[in-house]
Amino acid sequence: MTAVAALRPAGPGVPALLAGTATAGLVVLLADPGTPVLLVAAAAVALPVVELARRLRAQLSAAADLEQQRRDLVTRGQSTADELEVATRMMKARAQTMTSVIDAVTEQSIIGTDRDGLIRVWNPGAERMLGLPRAEVVRVRSITDFHDPEDLDQAAPFASLVQGAQDNGSDVRDWTYLTTDGRQLTVSVAITPRTDDDGEQAGWNFVGTDMTEARAAERLKDQFVSLISHELRTPLSSILGYLELVMDDEEQPLTDEQRQYLTTVERNAQRLLRLVGDLLFTAQVDAGRFTLQPEDVDLAGIVRAAEDTARVTAAARGVAVSVEVPAEGLVVRGDALRLGQACDNLVSNAVKFTPAGGSVTLRLSAAERDGAPVALLSVSDTGVGIPTGEQGKLFTSFFRASTARRNAVPGVGLGLTITKAITTAHGGTLDVASAEGRGTTFTLALPRLES
Amino acid sequence: MDAPVRVLVADDEEDIRLLVCVAVRKAGGTVVAAVADGTEALRVASAERPDLVVLDVSMPGATGLEVCEALRADPGSSGCRVLLLSAGASPDDVARGLAAGADAYLPKPFTVAGLVAQVRELTVGTPA
Repeated sequence: MTAVAALRPAGPGVPALLAGTATAGLVVLLADPGTPVLLVAAAAVALPVVELARRLRAQLSAAADLEQQRRDLVTRGQSTADELEVATRMMKARAQTMTSVIDAVTEQSIIGTDRDGLIRVWNPGAERMLGLPRAEVVRVRSITDFHDPEDLDQAAPFASLVQGAQDNGSDVRDWTYLTTDGRQLTVSVAITPRTDDDGEQAGWNFVGTDMTEARAAERLKDQFVSLISHELRTPLSSILGYLELVMDDEEQPLTDEQRQYLTTVERNAQRLLRLVGDLLFTAQVDAGRFTLQPEDVDLAGIVRAAEDTARVTAAARGVAVSVEVPAEGLVVRGDALRLGQACDNLVSNAVKFTPAGGSVTLRLSAAERDGAPVALLSVSDTGVGIPTGEQGKLFTSFFRASTARRNAVPGVGLGLTITKAITTAHGGTLDVASAEGRGTTFTLALPRLES
Repeated sequence: MDAPVRVLVADDEEDIRLLVCVAVRKAGGTVVAAVADGTEALRVASAERPDLVVLDVSMPGATGLEVCEALRADPGSSGCRVLLLSAGASPDDVARGLAAGADAYLPKPFTVAGLVAQVRELTVGTPA
């Protein structure tokens, strides 16, 4: 007889025990005193079985979970590996693209260094410019080996080289590179810091363009312009000086006809002189050597003086000139001589481009632009106008509008370039509004001093 | 009547040199010498002790600026006035001229009337 068979008569107590708890077993025990020992034994065996079953089930479920997790991990691992491979391939492709881009640059030197100046990147442009192959340079030479020592602070050459970029984030200027065959090159070098993926500074980049020939050409042009300027001014000084002697000789006065001829000579000499001055000034602007002598300037005086200068020519051409300026004047900070030149240019252009019977109006007014006080000086004419498509090129040196050429208006195309340069140097703007056949208005806006 | 002021003229361009001489005479001065180079100008200046030297800036031998500096360094010519003439008309050119010790600077091309006025101004009260 087994314990299970003996338990059977006990009726509902056994299934309750099998399915149930130790508390239920105790209830049976107390309620049925005839089978106490068997029941206690049955209960003692049943409890671990139930517990074991429960634990088994839990373990099976945990095992199933683990299996699922394993599968998930394997799948995830696989996709991570796939992603990694894709990423690696992309990185390789990118690196390849970068290298091929850098290697394709042959006219600029691209040199990368570590933080101390040791060269890590050396493109074919650098090879060509400085004469050493990559293998002899990378991880072997410092960038400062290729710089003229005179350009650098001998105590800390590399620090002095990157000082500008360190302070300003980037630095572009001319440096002297020394080639392996002993030549000196003037190179415009852009220096920028290079960072790694974590944003830490990894080193420096030096992108250089050989400017040796360009700079030599600029110097030659400068010398040429100042030579020409001197060589043209000197004979013009003689022409104008001796003309003055003849025309002002009170002991031997000229006939009206002689005076008229000599006046023509003088006017043309003055025209040549202005051209020389304009050429020299344009060269100075191009070379960045144009400086202002700032003072408080009343623009009303400038406008009236420009009208004065243009009056004779305008009257001879049958063009009326009128002036509208505020009675109290309008003061800006600027170079009176240059502002006068700018205003004269605009007025003389307006008169030149306006046919007989037309008019030129000079207006000066105070206004606000973007909340800042400005002085607006406008010169309007009723002249031939400028085709819309050509208005963008007006401020380019030697550009002449088709209306100027068609109407044979004399000039070389420097006046507006100069006027624009003067305006810009004063922190102002120069705008044009024009309709072909109806006229043109140039408006010069300059920062105004509050009265 | 005072004796006329004594003027030395130095310019390598003959036409300009003659023009300057005319202007000096119009201003009531007398030209003690008209020379074409800077070294000669210095030699004449120390021999003649003129009241005024009109110097072109760009000259062979010594430039007008160098002549001017040498005159200023020589105690014997300390009372001598210097007028520089130059084709360079930029503010920098003028500043260089005045820094060299010139009393006045006239850019070329100058007007004869302007030069006459300048010579008169520089020689006012100059004892002859």
